[in-house]
Amino acid sequence: MEGGVSYARMPRVKIRELKDDYAKFELRDTDASIANALRRVMIAEVPTVAIDLVEIEVNSSVLNDEFIAHRLGLIPLTSERAMSMRFSRDCDACDGDGQCEFCSVEFHLRVKCMTDQTLDVTSKDLYSSDPTVSPVDFSDPSATDSDNNRGIIIVKLRRGQELKLRAIARKGIGKDHAKWSPAATVTFMYEPEIHINEDLMETLTLEEKREWVDSSPTRVFEIDPVTQQVMVVDAEAYTYDDEVLKKAEAMGKPGLVEIIARQDSFIFTVESTGAVKASQLVLNAIEILKQKLDAVRLSEDTVEADDQFGELGAHMRGG
Amino acid sequence: MNAPDRYERFVVPEGTKKVSYERDTKIINAASFTIEREEHTIGNILRMQLHRDPNVLFAGYKLPHPLQYKIIVRIHTTSQSSPMQAYNQSVNDLDRELDHLKSAFEAEMLKFSRDY
Repeated sequence: MEGGVSYARMPRVKIRELKDDYAKFELRDTDASIANALRRVMIAEVPTVAIDLVEIEVNSSVLNDEFIAHRLGLIPLTSERAMSMRFSRDCDACDGDGQCEFCSVEFHLRVKCMTDQTLDVTSKDLYSSDPTVSPVDFSDPSATDSDNNRGIIIVKLRRGQELKLRAIARKGIGKDHAKWSPAATVTFMYEPEIHINEDLMETLTLEEKREWVDSSPTRVFEIDPVTQQVMVVDAEAYTYDDEVLKKAEAMGKPGLVEIIARQDSFIFTVESTGAVKASQLVLNAIEILKQKLDAVRLSEDTVEADDQFGELGAHMRGG
Repeated sequence: MNAPDRYERFVVPEGTKKVSYERDTKIINAASFTIEREEHTIGNILRMQLHRDPNVLFAGYKLPHPLQYKIIVRIHTTSQSSPMQAYNQSVNDLDRELDHLKSAFEAEMLKFSRDY
């Protein structure tokens, strides 16, 4: 079926920044459809683990059960294992019950306030049955103050108040509920290509140049103090607001600058919730996209019916 | 109360095929593919990849209705090819491109952590 011809492209990647929860990279030699597919998959189709069922035994806090259950569901849990876990509805080990080791992780929380001081119940008080799935640690390793070691506050308890519960965390995707989305946000921008018309620029006075440069809300252009020439200092600061173009027209100099969004260069910014590392999030997204492509392949039983045109059809198709 | 379950948006119901094929009865070498439980993510990359195939005369996709969780991809090719052939070619090419992207990203990760 497949001929020797291929129209696949060979995209290029260059990473600019890489932290546990943040990545910035350039994607080149591909088009906006691939970039947007990656963005959509990262936001809504990469699986993570989140609390999905809460059984509350004791709750004498000021918040009601449903409120606490909802807050528990939104806590990001480390989900390195999520790609290989099973979805609860597909799990045959527990007949879709959704509470076995292959498709879920159990958490326990037992806190009681015994002092006069208000007690903060945080995500650090959640104990997991699986050490690889635990609430994300937001501590800043570089900070030294004792207040730094804090999790996400679930509820505050006064003296005598108690909270005791069991929670089941399951695999899911952001398309089902945002709590399963591993990305705080994923954006990409087209790389701008900026050309200044030097001849037109030379007809401006220094004050006019300064006025035009200042018309951009972000610092894209600057005047070289030595040569008095306008130059581009940060093309990527451009926000496609067309302010400099409107200013040039208002000054009677249309065509002073030409700004084009390149259709094959994208600058991605990936911010993770901490459930998955930002770099792993990108790799997981590519893997999920490949799985989706495999799912939409034509199966063997999708037979092309040639009967309708018979020999004439076969001849016309050169077969 | 009567809202559809959210998982219906991405779980193919039993008894339904993920991809079905329907030949156009009026135009030769034209067909529609119905892909269940997909939306713009797959539809857009498929359409744009089909546009890069010189044998494809027309390629487009649509979501008939937001509550019908499927896309319809329509392909019209020259006599040198067929809609099914063009469809398979585009899926294979996209798979190849993603393979390349994955290895490029992994190589860049190694390089970045080494330089850092």
